[in-house]
Amino acid sequence: MLDILSLLDITFFLLAAMGALIGIIFGAIPGMTATMAVAVCLPLTYALGLHHGLALLLGLYVGGISGGMVPAVLLNIPGTPSSITTTFDGYPMAQKGEGERALRVSVVASVVGGLISAAILFLFAPLLAEFSIKFSYVEKFLIILLALTVIASMSRNMLVGIFSGVLGIWLSLIGTYSISDGGNGHTRLMFDFLEPYLFEGFSLLPVLIGIFGIATILLEAEKGVKSGLAGTEIKIGKGGGFSLNLFKGRLTNLVRSSFIGTFVGMLPGVGGSAASVLAYTQEKNLSRDSSEMGKGAPQGLIASESANNALTGGALIPLLSLGIPGDSTTAVLIGAFTLQGIQVGPLFIPENADTWYVMMTALVFANIVMFFLMFYAIKHIAKVVLVPKYILYPIIVMMCVVGAYAINYGIMFDVWTLLIFGVLGYLIQKVGLEVAPLIIGFILGGQAEVYFVKSLESFGTYSIFFTKSPIAVVLWLLIAASVTFSVVMGLKSRAKNRLETTQ
Amino acid sequence: MESGLTSLFSVSIDFETSHLFFPHIINWLMGGLFALILVFKVVPFLAAVRRGEETLPILGESMDKFRFFGSIALIAAYFYLMAVVGNLFPYTGYGFLFVSMAFVFLMSMMYMHTKTKRKVITAVINAIVAPSLAWFILAKLFQITLP
Amino acid sequence: MSMPSISKTLGTSILMAGMAFGSAAAMAADGPLRGNVRVVIGSTSTGGDTYQNSNIVVDALADHLDLNMKVDAVGASAAFRALDRDSRGNTLMIFHDQSYLGHLYGVEGYDDIFEKYTIGPTIAINPGNAYLVPKDSPYKTLDDVIAAAGNGEEVRVAIQPGGVSEIGFSALKNAIRIEHPGMEDNLVAVNTGSQADKNQQLFDGQADMINGTVQANEQYTRLPEDDQKSMRFLWLTARHDTIKQAPEEGLGKTSRAELLKYVEPNVNVTMGDDKNFTFDKEFFFLYNKDMDPAIVDQIDEALTEIYDEGDIQKAQKKSFFIPNFKPSGESEEYLKEKMSTYKDIIENIK
Repeated sequence: MLDILSLLDITFFLLAAMGALIGIIFGAIPGMTATMAVAVCLPLTYALGLHHGLALLLGLYVGGISGGMVPAVLLNIPGTPSSITTTFDGYPMAQKGEGERALRVSVVASVVGGLISAAILFLFAPLLAEFSIKFSYVEKFLIILLALTVIASMSRNMLVGIFSGVLGIWLSLIGTYSISDGGNGHTRLMFDFLEPYLFEGFSLLPVLIGIFGIATILLEAEKGVKSGLAGTEIKIGKGGGFSLNLFKGRLTNLVRSSFIGTFVGMLPGVGGSAASVLAYTQEKNLSRDSSEMGKGAPQGLIASESANNALTGGALIPLLSLGIPGDSTTAVLIGAFTLQGIQVGPLFIPENADTWYVMMTALVFANIVMFFLMFYAIKHIAKVVLVPKYILYPIIVMMCVVGAYAINYGIMFDVWTLLIFGVLGYLIQKVGLEVAPLIIGFILGGQAEVYFVKSLESFGTYSIFFTKSPIAVVLWLLIAASVTFSVVMGLKSRAKNRLETTQ
Repeated sequence: MESGLTSLFSVSIDFETSHLFFPHIINWLMGGLFALILVFKVVPFLAAVRRGEETLPILGESMDKFRFFGSIALIAAYFYLMAVVGNLFPYTGYGFLFVSMAFVFLMSMMYMHTKTKRKVITAVINAIVAPSLAWFILAKLFQITLP
Repeated sequence: MSMPSISKTLGTSILMAGMAFGSAAAMAADGPLRGNVRVVIGSTSTGGDTYQNSNIVVDALADHLDLNMKVDAVGASAAFRALDRDSRGNTLMIFHDQSYLGHLYGVEGYDDIFEKYTIGPTIAINPGNAYLVPKDSPYKTLDDVIAAAGNGEEVRVAIQPGGVSEIGFSALKNAIRIEHPGMEDNLVAVNTGSQADKNQQLFDGQADMINGTVQANEQYTRLPEDDQKSMRFLWLTARHDTIKQAPEEGLGKTSRAELLKYVEPNVNVTMGDDKNFTFDKEFFFLYNKDMDPAIVDQIDEALTEIYDEGDIQKAQKKSFFIPNFKPSGESEEYLKEKMSTYKDIIENIK
């Protein structure tokens, strides 16, 4: 144990803190992600050595995931794909003048999610890795299906919402059925002349910031960009009141969402955005008073942010105990180990106990630093909405361009995707389709295809989805409950509306 | 019965055409839902438009045509010129730097309703500082490839 | 934001920008390769072998030529397109055997690289391509697998289709065809994606053998047999001579001597006529066809000098790569011959 203490010097903590800070900045810029932050700092770790390097990278990881909440709440643009569900309640709150409060709720939820997942990682990593390999294509497909059921419960009108979701799935299928997923590499759903551009389909991040960021600007432009400020009604200070009372009765939500985030994070290939979507679904289904969700309820923020920060610990589980990354950021993190000539795999923890304890320290410390940095910076960050629109909007477009161009290391078509989906996002909102279901369909569509088709290729029968394992049965029960719930809720609100119109 | 049920569920996917299997399902699903929407949403809506109770989206609404189409045109020109200028100075990020300056300034001017000297100066400074800062930090410090 | 702080930021940023411009201008070297150079690779992963190996070489090259060079993991199709568009030499590409195997397997987006591009020097080998079975598998050797398939037993192999992961499978199928004519269809491909997916197929009992790598699977081979996840190497596709150059301590806790048990001549996959199939995953440069030949020479010369110095070999070996520098002309001839061998195999089993 003493050996480990000698590894933890001042530089170590400074690097973890610096990582958290840089990560937050990356995450807070629309279009920049945690993955990108880790990727650009990876070369530095060679000079820093393994333990110092890991401190920096884990700081970046935690900071980057958390930073995503800032533009999600204040500008309605998810800074990272996993903060998509944060926009559902965060932005309505910001519009009501509660941006600061929304951010504080998110920060507290984030740190709790991060710490819970770190604890789970520390205590149960090998055990959970054992459990995670019980999830084959069949069970993973059912998890995606469960996450997709959120579409039904989230839509204003169920028929339109489901159609929007299916449209999102359809859009995600454009391009090749990639051989890196085991597909046959053929393209579909497009014309041959588009192949040079659309070969790999539309990438997620440009689609996301196009449909949220650019479309929002177009909608504003249509109205003439009237008011000088981004949030006319936002009064800083007022309504920003925050107390832990907001978390009263939300403990179940907080813990459940953290567990969901950790759990989804540890399933290789599923991870990422599915975690917060799933946590949001479950809160919507299970809580007694979910009618306000989507209109600015703190409980939505709690579910979303605790789940997406819990991802960090979750995604490290398969990385450290199977050698398999749980999400795109940990996939880059593998590079830090190989760069130092260290293998990750089932024997990593027993054979590199020092590194393992060092990583845990860095992870916990980065979460705490993130909390203090964010919690006390919020007052100033929230002032972004006071910047006049004629200054703010051009900068948002510019940063979206940087993010879109850099996400796949320099592809110009990703920048055009911004405009395409900006205009598309404008049109779908105008004709009355729903954006949130569409984007969830887009995020989960590709995985749904691979898991579905591969399950059938292996087993050759649809019945496998019901008979594969007890886990599959449990997942079906959850799906059934989720669907029933949204139907009941839909009927209730319809009845309520009718009542109101007759009165 | 048992075998009948098994064969009902059984499916064999040819690897060569497996890229079309899932999209086919989605196409049908989307087609079906679209038909339902036509019947339950679009037709009643159009009837309401005819009765004059509702207006058509986009076409029937008032809009700031100059700022709306101006934004789209400006963004398109921005993306296009960025690649063109960037190609003159390969992988330096100058395409992004210079074209962004022009873009940020022009968009600021377009969204500004009353132009005072102070506001214009702020816009000019912003148009120079913001892209330079972004370019310096990302392209120089972090060596991210920019157009 | 107050005005004084704006002007202060403005001042510093102009100063910084000026410095950056200045340094960029000073970068102009004397060789035909000028300005900033971007090296695109055929993989989208920055944690993978292509990125790591490209970085080692490109960093050395940038130092040696005193140029700004940067590796970008854009993926195969985007990398080929970037290379197509730029004949000035500012865009170079590094990829491995996938570049022509994709074409041989008829994967969309892969053209004949020997026709469309100039082949640059080879730089290194990743000797890790391997085939594994569960530790409690009835197949103790690769011969058991060949014999089982020859006896009419179905053997399912999890691979990623259309390239490096499939070529060993194809060769094995070809060997079964030669030794047990007509029985080769008993070797069945389970087409899947990443290494995680391939492992999962093994854990699920949906595959009897998987394609993997020494680097990713070595720890699994050291798990006790009663662990569901434990695996055993059956075959490394690399040449005997390649593995012999690996560091003596091997990888992880598996020594070089141990690894040598799984390559020819201990494991034989025949191609007929007493010839054995081997496959080394080799990394090499690809250039735009119209690029100035002087640049080709310049990079060849620079790399010759770098490899003569000998430091790069140490860096490569530390990351379990086998240095294998061949200048452009030599490498093109070598890779062409390599391709024609594999072409025969793939056609034989069609």
